[in-house]
Amino acid sequence: MDERELIENIAYNVIQGRVEAEDEGIDQGLEGQPGVTELVGQAIEQGVDTRRLVLEGLSEPMEKVGAKYESGEYLIPDMLAAAECVGAAMDLLGPKMLEAGVESKGKFVIATVHGDLHDIGKNIVAIMLKGAGYEVIDMGNNIPTARIVDKIKETNAPFLGLSALLTTTMRVMSEVIASLQENGLRDKVKVLIGGAPTSGKFAAEVGADAYCRDAFQAIDVLKEMARS
Amino acid sequence: MIVIGEKINATRGPVKAIIEQRDSQGLKELAEKQVRAGAGYIDVNVGTGVGSREHEMADMDWAVGVLTDAIEPPLCVDSADPAVLEAGLRAMGNRKAMINSAKADEDCLPKIVGLAARYDAGLVGLAMDESGIPPTVEGRLAACAKIAEECRRQGVPLEKVFFDPLVLPVSTDITQGMVTLRTIREIKVAFEGARTVMGLSNISFGLPDRLRLNAAFLHMALSAGLDAAIADATDDELMAAVRTGEVLVGRDRHCRRYSRAFRR
Repeated sequence: MDERELIENIAYNVIQGRVEAEDEGIDQGLEGQPGVTELVGQAIEQGVDTRRLVLEGLSEPMEKVGAKYESGEYLIPDMLAAAECVGAAMDLLGPKMLEAGVESKGKFVIATVHGDLHDIGKNIVAIMLKGAGYEVIDMGNNIPTARIVDKIKETNAPFLGLSALLTTTMRVMSEVIASLQENGLRDKVKVLIGGAPTSGKFAAEVGADAYCRDAFQAIDVLKEMARS
Repeated sequence: MIVIGEKINATRGPVKAIIEQRDSQGLKELAEKQVRAGAGYIDVNVGTGVGSREHEMADMDWAVGVLTDAIEPPLCVDSADPAVLEAGLRAMGNRKAMINSAKADEDCLPKIVGLAARYDAGLVGLAMDESGIPPTVEGRLAACAKIAEECRRQGVPLEKVFFDPLVLPVSTDITQGMVTLRTIREIKVAFEGARTVMGLSNISFGLPDRLRLNAAFLHMALSAGLDAAIADATDDELMAAVRTGEVLVGRDRHCRRYSRAFRR
């Protein structure tokens, strides 16, 4: 396969969500054909341009996956399978990425706020942002406000994602934002919030920069922020 | 099996309105509908997330007062806050009651088990601790063991306890169906006399045709030893799955309930 074919094939397999040759894809009958791991291995051997591979083979197809999820064609597991492909490819490319000067899009600290133990949605967002090229620092769930603020201080991350799934814990988000303010960090970090009981209205109320319905909206919002 | 009717939950918009407006008639109707559909307990969750704790205690007191007058089956007071639970238990008088729920955290567990002891109430014990839901069977059993130990300490017999093995979506972790099923089996072995309860619908989160999965999972859970489910009793399809499951695991003598439901 030449470089173009190889990258197209990788992109196709990301969309199919096939990490390895033995994996099934969205479509039937693909088992046995090389998956993302095998194809990326081959690309590294052939000395394929890393920047092009990441952009056209991973990022662009991942955006297509996002669109398919938004439109209802793809389900959560479909999306996670694609993200797993991107993650596997990134692991293989690790050292090459630095050499090729493929930069991270920035640090993104993410946490479920104090008192809230829900983490499934937060985990999906973390996986998808990693796939989209952010350096994700996942703090976990039930994280005290002070620890979140310390982490922002320590990492200088320009982005913070806060999650809450309870009407009782979503209020903690305003506490986090107030504490960022008190520590002189508020203008250094964009705060994105999400979780079932939250909304755009609620984000405005607590002074967050954006509300994100799901991982893909988060990616769109971040892109928009990078532009402005 | 016991179905605990889940509909009186203030996180649902119409129920929130009923509670805020103190609409006794609306609350009664919602309970009666579930009882008619076969609910053995009625869950009562008045937490709207906006008011203060005192507000929520007053809401609980009101809702329990209305419901104890209106329906026969016992109520299941549902809150993470011991003070709100107690407000409900106090309003219950001598009626049989259940507490939903306690988890294995140092802070609240002794208080909530204390309430179960003082009010002679049943108790739902969640297989989780202060750091969340353990991803493995072993972790969940360890949480149950802490709850069982606290019950022993305060003289609450295991016969009063319903352990909830907890259910996480298979759409995000394909191993979770079996984790829950194995946890049910292990609970029945490790804590003799205790029963099991769970909310079903989380299993199918993120997938299409959820009822198929919910019904299949209910059958598997019944086979593993599930005693009760927190579910929508007014959902005919789900209740049909209860009937078919019960008859197949031999918990419907002479197939009476199945025949009554489906006889032509």
